Amino acid sequence: MRLVRYNYPSSRIASTFGFGRSAFGGLDSEINRLFESAYAGCGGAQATGGSSFPVDLFQDENSTFVRAELPGVSRENISVEAVGDELTITASRKAAEGDKEAAATAISRTVTIPEGTPTDKVTAAYENGVLTVTLPKPEEVKPRKVAIQVS
Amino acid sequence: MSTQTITRVKPVYSVTETAEAYAVTVQLPGVAKADLEITGENEQVRIVGRRSWQQPEAWKSVYRETGDHQFELVLTHDNAVDVDAGQAELRDGVLRLTLPKAAAAKARKIAVS
Repeated sequence: MRLVRYNYPSSRIASTFGFGRSAFGGLDSEINRLFESAYAGCGGAQATGGSSFPVDLFQDENSTFVRAELPGVSRENISVEAVGDELTITASRKAAEGDKEAAATAISRTVTIPEGTPTDKVTAAYENGVLTVTLPKPEEVKPRKVAIQVS
Repeated sequence: MSTQTITRVKPVYSVTETAEAYAVTVQLPGVAKADLEITGENEQVRIVGRRSWQQPEAWKSVYRETGDHQFELVLTHDNAVDVDAGQAELRDGVLRLTLPKAAAAKARKIAVS
């Protein structure tokens, strides 16, 4: 007796009609392998096989917001660092007892933020496995009038 | 009927087995307790999670990697688990569901007389 994995209809049809490996002689897996190697250096969430996490960037009048999906990470294991024009979010996971799949790992993402962001005013909140970092916009971004002297 | 269709995606999950129960771990980032629905019927356990966070009006999205999709996971079992006795815990966007094995599915020792 076991739990049976649910398959979406598309993959079920493909296997019923004998598509895939036999018809294309392993071409699809070869293409997948090429794509994986081509994207390996990009640091994308899919290409690196779950060693990263997805982030969203939002903006309003006064702030920039970075939202990162980090399910199951304790607050004390999340670190947010803003240096210059870069914001780095690092999440570390401790190895669970007797669970080989949940080995100790550290994953991080770096995003570019507006230069001159007041780093002392950056705040972060973690709720339901999603981290939200609020970065106030730098003062210089606001329009300034410059008087030009005519000699 | 709502005009906006929200796509449903299968969340990342894993199933482990012990002698007494199956443990299902489902990653549901952004889903609060109130927006999670777990139903069991006809040899199926269905987990549906809606994202609790809504993008505020003033926020303009600059770059998105996540979606506003719902999570849906359907696990089929051949009545080997006792869904009524199942326990679920949602913490930090991770659901841990414990489904005890049904009495008929447990290994039994038969004494030889």
